[in-house]
Amino acid sequence: MMRGVNRSAMPNQMSRYILRFVVVLGALTGMVAAATPKAPPSEAQTVAAFKERVKEYVALHEKLEATLPKFAERGTPEQVDKNQRALGALIKSARSDAKPGDFFTPGMVALVKRVLGEVLSGPAGKTIKASIMDENPGVPKLVINERYPSSVPLSTMPPEILEPLPELKGELEYRFIGRRLILLDTEADIILDFTGNVLPQ
Amino acid sequence: MRQKYPPLIALAAILLLIPVSYCAGIPAPAGPAAVVAPQSENAPPVKLPNKSGSLKFAVLGDFGTATQREYELAAEMAKFYTGFKFDIVILVGDNLYGAERPQDFKAKFEDPYKPLLDAGVKFYGALGNHDARAQRYYKPFNMGGELYYSFKAPNEKVRFFVLDSTYPVPEQIDWLEKALKDSSDDWKIVYFHHPIYSSGGRHGSDMKLRETLEPLFIKYNVSVAFAGHDHFYERIKPQHGIVYFVVGSGGQLAVGDILKTDLTAKGFDTDQAFMAVEISGDKMYFNTISRPGEVVDSGIIERRIPQ
Repeated sequence: MMRGVNRSAMPNQMSRYILRFVVVLGALTGMVAAATPKAPPSEAQTVAAFKERVKEYVALHEKLEATLPKFAERGTPEQVDKNQRALGALIKSARSDAKPGDFFTPGMVALVKRVLGEVLSGPAGKTIKASIMDENPGVPKLVINERYPSSVPLSTMPPEILEPLPELKGELEYRFIGRRLILLDTEADIILDFTGNVLPQ
Repeated sequence: MRQKYPPLIALAAILLLIPVSYCAGIPAPAGPAAVVAPQSENAPPVKLPNKSGSLKFAVLGDFGTATQREYELAAEMAKFYTGFKFDIVILVGDNLYGAERPQDFKAKFEDPYKPLLDAGVKFYGALGNHDARAQRYYKPFNMGGELYYSFKAPNEKVRFFVLDSTYPVPEQIDWLEKALKDSSDDWKIVYFHHPIYSSGGRHGSDMKLRETLEPLFIKYNVSVAFAGHDHFYERIKPQHGIVYFVVGSGGQLAVGDILKTDLTAKGFDTDQAFMAVEISGDKMYFNTISRPGEVVDSGIIERRIPQ
């Protein structure tokens, strides 16, 4: 009887053990996965993501600009100024939640630092940096979506720096303000994003 | 054995004598531009011939300050215009300093140059580091919404190539090369803001830009280049056959900023100045005129002619 009872109880007990084992194993696997840090995106992924954000922004810019008179039709300073400010206001409103790092993600900042490190440590590094810092004292505070400070000259962007950075579309430009790199919408004259001090001292 | 090789050696020698440029289908580099200028301070300046049908233009840079001195130089330009009807004014950048509100365009450009604008003189802008990019849409600067562009002069076989030296993206350099290559004009004149040759203590020569631009200027027969940025007037001794001018003396002024270098053919850094230029055939005549109306430099440049 006992054997007979034992025999009939065995499958049920085994199933329970297996089930418990699977549950515990699953939980452990989940915990281990959660505790393991995510591998950072590769530089290629970072560039692809940056370009995608730029593409989305350019699409937004074009959509908003289409609601205004064409720039080419402008001529007087009043018209240029009016349209530029109107475009800036539309973009600011559409990007009301914009914050530092939207474009210059940690991966992008690392890329920028790598590029600058390589270019500036080369034989022409000193000349290139002098060119960037020419009339470029910087400003104490930068604000996303605000107009480029009119009292600050535009920094020169040597081709050695522009070439290795991801190509920009539309009216966007990279510029330095002091040792920080900014992303500028030149048509709306607003700052879309900026980094910390990426240019070595 | 000895007799087998002389014909081959002779053939090799003939091939070596053929210029490489001919083999590659590239025209041989043009000869140097020649400059004739008064050799002493007391010598009379070279007179502008003021011929009918010649191209007459003025060069102005770093001017948009709305200061009394900008207005005085502008008045001198208007006075000079009464006797020398220049068709155009080329602007080498820093057209407006500081704010660029509508009232700034008026105070820093439209008011001082009103007599010239009213007379139909056309201004062609290049952007400097102090200029907002939206200036390219400002009609009186005739940039057609472009940051870099070229235009044919109304007289003579002259083409101007206008560059954006603050942001020399590869597309711009490619564009310049193609534009220079495609141009069959006798005179190819390039202007932009940052000088690639300058004796300025504050800025000086932009060596990186020189590396990029100079080979194209040499290859495609540019005769003359104008820039600003350094706040004085300087004529550079011909470099690789090309004559460079710094004309950043339109409003801002860096008194005593011209360092003693071997580059300078003539420097003037004690007052504001503009240039009046006339091209007639293969000759370019120039006078540099100070705010009080004195001719502080003058000369004749013979264009580079392909060899």
